Amino acid sequence: MTARRSFSSLAIIFAVVYAVAYAAAMWQNYALFTYHPVLNEIAMGVEKPKDGPAMYWYGWMATAAIAAALACLVASLVPDRITRRLWSGWSWAIPLAVLFFLAYLLRGYFLR
Amino acid sequence: MITALLIIHGLLAVALLGGVTHQAVSAWSPARKAAGSFVNRFRSVTAASYTNAIVVLYIVTMVVGAVIYPEFRISIRGVLEELDSPAAMGAFELKEHFAVVGLALLPAYWYFWRLPLADEHARTRKILTALLAFIIWWNFLVGHVVNNLRGFGA
Repeated sequence: MTARRSFSSLAIIFAVVYAVAYAAAMWQNYALFTYHPVLNEIAMGVEKPKDGPAMYWYGWMATAAIAAALACLVASLVPDRITRRLWSGWSWAIPLAVLFFLAYLLRGYFLR
Repeated sequence: MITALLIIHGLLAVALLGGVTHQAVSAWSPARKAAGSFVNRFRSVTAASYTNAIVVLYIVTMVVGAVIYPEFRISIRGVLEELDSPAAMGAFELKEHFAVVGLALLPAYWYFWRLPLADEHARTRKILTALLAFIIWWNFLVGHVVNNLRGFGA
């Protein structure tokens, strides 16, 4: 397995899993942690706002990063003959679908 | 401090916008002959040479944006709610989510622009660049408009 080919598969898997995991985390609020900016506090998991807004964005990114890292770890164990069949277009097709999904989730802001 | 970071965020975004636009136009509509008109010169850049700069600028711009984001949530979002601007809030929410999707694209984008360019990945390269360019343009315009709604230094 060449390093170049291996990185190609991992980059595609990262793009797909990170984008999908982020959308899922945002949709279902699977934040790894919550940041309370007024209090400058970080709490593990999802916490309700207290004394100001609660920010989940950083936590969603962290959740997605863990999912993508795990997927890449698993993919690196799969034989090269399987991963090299991966279509490079998945790297843009799935993230593009995620953009539409995110826009759909937030449609309420624009349809009031 | 936040105002200074906001200006730095904006300046980085301008550089990023310029780089990705050059690359996207050059990838989708490369110049067939050198120089000539302004448009031809704009298209005739060596697209691959922008890749590393775009990756670094994207990450740095996003990090600075992430640093100033809490200030937006504390001070600006309430103003948008008072102004009854749900579209502006929605556009900004999309900005934060689109930025993350752009981050997910970066390793693949970087890989498919590596020299020597692989012909079999030409379409993937072009679409990844267009997608990244769309995200960067969206985020730049939304950030600019939302900042104007609030008013600089208000």
